[in-house]
Amino acid sequence: MFLFLGVRAMKEHRYAGLRRSILGSMILVPLVPFILILGIGYYYFTTSIQTSTIASMKRIVGDHRQMIESFLTERKANLEYILYSYSFDELAEPQKLYDIFCQLQKESNAFLDLGLFNEEGIHVNYQGPYKLAGRDYGKEDWFKEVMKEGHYISDIFLGYRRIPHFVIATKREEAGRKWIIRATIDTYMFNDLVKKVRIGRTGEAYILNKDGVFQTERRSGGNLMEIDPEKVRYPSSQSGIINFIHKDERGETYCYTTTWLKDKDWLLVVRQEKADAFKAFRSAAYLIILISLIGGGVIIGLAFYMTDRIIRRMKRIDIEKEQLGDQLIRASRLAEIGEMATGIAHEINNPLQIMNSEHGLIEVLLSDLKEHGDLKESEDLKELEDSIDQIKIQIGRCSKITHAVLKFGRQSDVVSTDIDLGGFIPEVIGLVENKASVEGITVKQDISEDTPLIQGDPGQLQQVLINLFNNAIDAIVERHGSEGGELVIASHIGEDGKVEISVKDNGGGISPDNLKKVFQPFFTTKPVGKGTGLGLSVCYGIIDHMGGIMEVSSQKGVGTTFFIRLPVAT
Amino acid sequence: MEKMKMMLVDDEERFLSTTKKLLLKKGYDVLTAVSGSEALEKLRTHNIHVVILDVKMPGMDGIETLKAIKKLFPMVEVIMLTGHATAESAVQGLKSGATDYLMKPTDVNDLIEKAEEAFDKRQRLEEKIRVAQTRSFMKSPRQIIRDTE
Repeated sequence: MFLFLGVRAMKEHRYAGLRRSILGSMILVPLVPFILILGIGYYYFTTSIQTSTIASMKRIVGDHRQMIESFLTERKANLEYILYSYSFDELAEPQKLYDIFCQLQKESNAFLDLGLFNEEGIHVNYQGPYKLAGRDYGKEDWFKEVMKEGHYISDIFLGYRRIPHFVIATKREEAGRKWIIRATIDTYMFNDLVKKVRIGRTGEAYILNKDGVFQTERRSGGNLMEIDPEKVRYPSSQSGIINFIHKDERGETYCYTTTWLKDKDWLLVVRQEKADAFKAFRSAAYLIILISLIGGGVIIGLAFYMTDRIIRRMKRIDIEKEQLGDQLIRASRLAEIGEMATGIAHEINNPLQIMNSEHGLIEVLLSDLKEHGDLKESEDLKELEDSIDQIKIQIGRCSKITHAVLKFGRQSDVVSTDIDLGGFIPEVIGLVENKASVEGITVKQDISEDTPLIQGDPGQLQQVLINLFNNAIDAIVERHGSEGGELVIASHIGEDGKVEISVKDNGGGISPDNLKKVFQPFFTTKPVGKGTGLGLSVCYGIIDHMGGIMEVSSQKGVGTTFFIRLPVAT
Repeated sequence: MEKMKMMLVDDEERFLSTTKKLLLKKGYDVLTAVSGSEALEKLRTHNIHVVILDVKMPGMDGIETLKAIKKLFPMVEVIMLTGHATAESAVQGLKSGATDYLMKPTDVNDLIEKAEEAFDKRQRLEEKIRVAQTRSFMKSPRQIIRDTE
């Protein structure tokens, strides 16, 4: 028992190990490429998004730089046009300047005022909303610079007017005289232009001067003229369009794209929260996580399911294998027992022979003694003689048994002879009739007179019939107990010219499922140890060998009929 | 008429002795041998007509002994005594020249009956031989002279 349990535990252990390795490979094999594909997909997807996002930011920066630059260039060109189209005296004439200013405003309504300065910095003539004519600007920085450089563009300032503006000034030199024309330009034009930039949720654009002062408003906070609170290390020189990432003081990470303007030390900045810029990253990541969770779940679930199925299947096969092994062992043991029985029967015949001879001698001696008058007739003598006769009878019985065993045990020597079923079948029935009547079974014979001879080994045919009879009796007993059974054995010549023997019982019948398997070796419905499952398959083999066919028809709850069709003897 | 002389060959000594006693009681001349070789030895020294030979014996078995007897003493009739119900050994014996076979356990009366039959057969055969020889005498006296030579 302990050994048995040990074996079972070992088997369970083996299954567990097998299960682990199958499960492991069934999960890993699809999961590794699955995750690899997702990873590679994610990598390339994010890289391409990053590239395209940065490219679009650079494009916006580039476009806007060009627009602002052309705005500035145009305004400068306006002034230069005026400066070179009119003389100082013409410009100094208020009416003339007013006409020019009106003309200029037609060109661009960004012009707020227009003024003329002489080389001392005196505001000679002025057209605009304020009374600035006559003022001295000789000490002002811008004046000094324009005198030196020839032109000047200021940073944006609020000035007296409290509106953001900047000035453009240009100098003309002629015949030893120098004069300057200056215009104030409202910045709303490019303020709007820059402010209008909107990328995603947080994308914005603004301009800083070289000291980091806002030249345009920033949507996310940062008023005009204030210093940019972010300590961004902006690229220093004319380094083209630059892209970098920076974390601001609130902890938001921004993606910056910047460029310096050509004519003015202004920095155009386009920035967007990184999370916003790469929003697609996040949705892709969520999607990928979702897919990996579902896909991984499906893979793992499937692996568990398949592994379970495989293991169950293996267990079943193992059990079947074991059962088959057991049946084989039983069958071989049975064969061994048969052989042993034959051997024993054979050996018993020798002592029986001696006993027989001794008995013969006793008989002769006894009759001699009686003849010579040495023994008188008496009751005791009669008893003795009766007893000696009994010994003879019992020896006869023993020899009958041993001969029966030997006959059963013999395997070889198939002797094919003509068999007359008319005599043969009743003989075989005679062998089981006793058993049948004990179980209350009525045995009916319907042997047609015209049943022709068949050819075969009588011993084998007897084996087949006895097997069928015994099966039938077992089936009947199982259903009816010891009353009401009926066994019908019939034989006649069939339509196909073959001899048909049928064995019909009114037992429980065979289920259609089992009916297909009845002739299979080792198939049995009897409890373990009761049937070898070989009987019918051997019968089938014998009939097949005789050139015949064996068939079965059965109805559950009605009964079973076995048919044997054999060729007529030639 | 010549009296039948039998020999029983079996490895069971008790069977030999009892059966011998029985046969002697019934008035037959009986010899016994416990092995094939002993049987052959006795055949050489005695004029035996019928041998009852057990098939299964240690050493030289029944069939071997039968073959040897038939080779050395073709005129001796042999009845096989088989413990096996199969016709197998009996058939083999008959093919090898045995006259008949008996199944163990056999009744002494059956044994005597078969032995008598075998003896009759032998007598008839001897008779035939005698007749044939007589004919040849009559045909050619020279033949007789040649035969005796």
